[in-house]
Amino acid sequence: MDRRKLIGGMLLLTVFGAMLLLPPLVYVFNQPITHFGIPQIVFYLFAVWLLLITGMALLTRALPPDANGSGPGEGER
Amino acid sequence: MLSADFVIATAVGYVGLLFVLAYLGDRRARTNAKSFLHSPAVYTLSISVYCTSWTFYGAVGNAARSGLEFLTIYLGPTLVFVGWWFLLRRLVRISHNQRITSVADLLSSRFGKSNRLAVLITCIAVIGIAPYIALQLKAVTSSIQAVAGASAFGRGSLTGIDDVGLAFGVAAGMALFTILFGTRHVDAKEQHHGVVAAIAFEAVVKLTALVAVGVFVVFVGGGFENIFSAAAQAGVTVDAEETFGARWLTTLGLSVAAIVCLPRQFQVTVVENSDENHLRVASWAFPAYMLLMSLFILPIAVFGLTTMPAGSNPDMFALTLPMSFGQDALALFAFIGGFSSATSMIILESIALSIMVSNHIVMPLILRLSPAGRGDGQGVTSLLLMARRFSIVLILSLGFFYFFFTRDSNALAPIGLISFTAIAQFFPSVIAALFWREASLKAATAAIAAGFVFWVWCSFLPSFESVSPQVAMLLDRGPWGISWLRPEAMFGLDNLDPLAHAAFWSILVNVLTLTIGSLLTGQSALERVQASVFVDVFKRGQISRGNFVRGSATANDLFFVAERVLGERRAAALFETEARDSGVDPDMLEPSPEFIGRLERELAGSIGAASAHVMLSKVLSGSDVSLEEMMQMADETQQVIEYSQQLEKTSAELRSTAQQLEDANAQLRELDSQKDEFLSQVSHEVRTPMTSIRSFSEILLDADDIDEGQRQHFVGTIHQESLRLTKLLDEILDLSALERGERTWDNVPVDAEAALGRALTVCEALLRQRGVTVQQGERAPAAVVEGDADRLCQVFINLISNAVKYNDSEAPVMRISSSVKAGKFVVDIADNGPGIAKGERKLIFEKFARGQRGAADQSGAGLGLAISRQIVTRMNGSLDLVQGPLPGACFRVRLAVLK
Repeated sequence: MDRRKLIGGMLLLTVFGAMLLLPPLVYVFNQPITHFGIPQIVFYLFAVWLLLITGMALLTRALPPDANGSGPGEGER
Repeated sequence: MLSADFVIATAVGYVGLLFVLAYLGDRRARTNAKSFLHSPAVYTLSISVYCTSWTFYGAVGNAARSGLEFLTIYLGPTLVFVGWWFLLRRLVRISHNQRITSVADLLSSRFGKSNRLAVLITCIAVIGIAPYIALQLKAVTSSIQAVAGASAFGRGSLTGIDDVGLAFGVAAGMALFTILFGTRHVDAKEQHHGVVAAIAFEAVVKLTALVAVGVFVVFVGGGFENIFSAAAQAGVTVDAEETFGARWLTTLGLSVAAIVCLPRQFQVTVVENSDENHLRVASWAFPAYMLLMSLFILPIAVFGLTTMPAGSNPDMFALTLPMSFGQDALALFAFIGGFSSATSMIILESIALSIMVSNHIVMPLILRLSPAGRGDGQGVTSLLLMARRFSIVLILSLGFFYFFFTRDSNALAPIGLISFTAIAQFFPSVIAALFWREASLKAATAAIAAGFVFWVWCSFLPSFESVSPQVAMLLDRGPWGISWLRPEAMFGLDNLDPLAHAAFWSILVNVLTLTIGSLLTGQSALERVQASVFVDVFKRGQISRGNFVRGSATANDLFFVAERVLGERRAAALFETEARDSGVDPDMLEPSPEFIGRLERELAGSIGAASAHVMLSKVLSGSDVSLEEMMQMADETQQVIEYSQQLEKTSAELRSTAQQLEDANAQLRELDSQKDEFLSQVSHEVRTPMTSIRSFSEILLDADDIDEGQRQHFVGTIHQESLRLTKLLDEILDLSALERGERTWDNVPVDAEAALGRALTVCEALLRQRGVTVQQGERAPAAVVEGDADRLCQVFINLISNAVKYNDSEAPVMRISSSVKAGKFVVDIADNGPGIAKGERKLIFEKFARGQRGAADQSGAGLGLAISRQIVTRMNGSLDLVQGPLPGACFRVRLAVLK
């Protein structure tokens, strides 16, 4: 995939991940419902967390590594 | 039952193990640069020093007291690491380029290498971290007390020692340990591989311990569902109603700032980073580590609340739950886990802080007090180490005193959040340093100072409420009865949670001062240079020009300075490299501005950017950069030139790409035209027989008066032509299959000599019919090759019939010879025909290529040689036209003989 698109994906994941953890979106799942005795919101928070981890793992895997980490910059964005 | 003495002995033994690990790790990392200690896994684990005993004990307590709020402490860092590309990568790149050693160094370097700012940040960090250290001391003390209190053996040697004495012992032990650990030598990059190895090990221990306790609790509680429903029956619920309010936002925001700005996090994430690409792994692995860490916290808290007697300290559930079930081994493991998380935090935090104190406070003082030229060899290095040892003691003492004064407050997590709020004051300036060119030194200094003042007033001071009646009164009524200055209700904002209140006001004042201040004040020339170095780090790559332009100092003067800081060996190596690179004798070395710049960065690695700058300025006294020179460096013209060079480079790259594309296009067009040619040739070949078939069949259909003889002739022709068509189509199919790489046979060992003999037999009739004399050359004995007998025979028949067909000589002769030479079976088939004209030699193996002379002979489509060559190639052999013994053409087949 295109490098720029992958970086765009990272930005989206970060920003949208933050939005999912903040009011008002978090209220959507904060209902007094329990699954298996555990409040729904617990499942929701851990699911978002897991989504961020797997999303990032996939994105960084697809992103080609920098040729030389501390060498001259490659002209970003 | 565990006894207190046994637990303490285990802890001391564990520390000894860590020391051995650190020692071995240090040795290993030095001798082997590719060691696993430089792997992303160890890097990620070392970042996990973020999970301290706050996590191990405090998070459980926090979950028991306020439900899900504990999660924010880990969700904030998760967001920072998920967004690593935008913040951490930039931070790491800049810090590598500039040899940054701490967050104070980062900001001081960005804002014109100002030492005053570095001192301010160092002081705030030391004071702000004190509660955090106190938290660790409190956690370790409480955990030892929890074991001792439950012990049947009584308190052992702890008899008569109270919390304070115990905490003092822990602090003193930690100080000693950290000094032994982290101040053995001064590294130019401030990297401590041994310590990092030990921290990584502790990260594994604490995670395993907490997960073990969690699994045990889930097992004893009969599964997640049972734990939660039993809790619900007992009236314990996870209250999520009020969770997502101001506190949720505040703690999330503070943890985002903390993961970047906490001195120890900056140390492990940025300074100890040996490869920028390690961030890729850490970006998801560190959040995953925190997720695992938090997974069981809620069950442990809920189960503890349900089963433990009322009034037990929820902070200690991870330890007391296994004990109450008589699981001593697990309890001991949990204790070691909690101890691990506390020690790793204390070690790294005090190392990081001591570097800041020695580089930004002690070094500049020494420089100011000592004359520039004093060259006393190793002096500075040993002084630096002494300063660090002293600061470690100071830092742990501050932590101990904070513990001493606030020991009555119960919970762990709120103490940690006080530190987070203090450290968060650096965050706006760090962000501005990385992204905002206009941010100025004056504004940043004022912003951090103002934020700190608000923190002291709104967060630090109120934490002494329980020990000091004066503070309690201040909280209640405000200073001198001014109610709008009450620490927890500034400007009358009294319905906000105290933490959210303190964070809100301090950060608001901080950000406003920074932004408005930067717009109102100007930057010095050096600030402007550094601002563009920081903000444009990815635009123009590494900027290696020095900030000193004229070098009136001799190499000797500089060497004295370098020797004092770096030690003789490193300094000598640095100067020798420079002399070698510029091709002069070391004694004759003229320090160039670039070299002085490099030297400054090298020194900055040991003593911080500001100190290095001051030091070199003193040596080059009188030759410190003039304003004009500085302006020249930051001159826009310069920038324009650099940009245009960059553009030129880019457009050259574009040109070469375009050229490559054009070449590829030409190739494609060539292939396309070949395909067209092939099609037209095929249709031509098909058309000729088709025409005769059609015309003859039309005659047969229309005319009734044809005699039998003629009819026979016509039908015969039609038959012959359709046979030719079939043969042609077969050949085309055969060839295209071969060209596509399909092989309709398996390569098996066959006797090639026998195949040649068989081909000769098949062609015997043809040869006799044309009256061709066959000369037998030397013949090889049986030769086994990899291939298919029938296909090989087909190749030989084709070559023999070609030799016959195209031979218009009066006395046609064909010569066949075969031999085994150097592991190859070689067959030559030569004739005395007209041969193949020079211009056609390349073409004859192409499709539909026929020798000019053969054009009249319509019996072949010109695919034979192409097919033959393909077949031989598929048998890993070759078919070529060679100079033969006869005047005509000579074809040579070569196949590898099987041993």
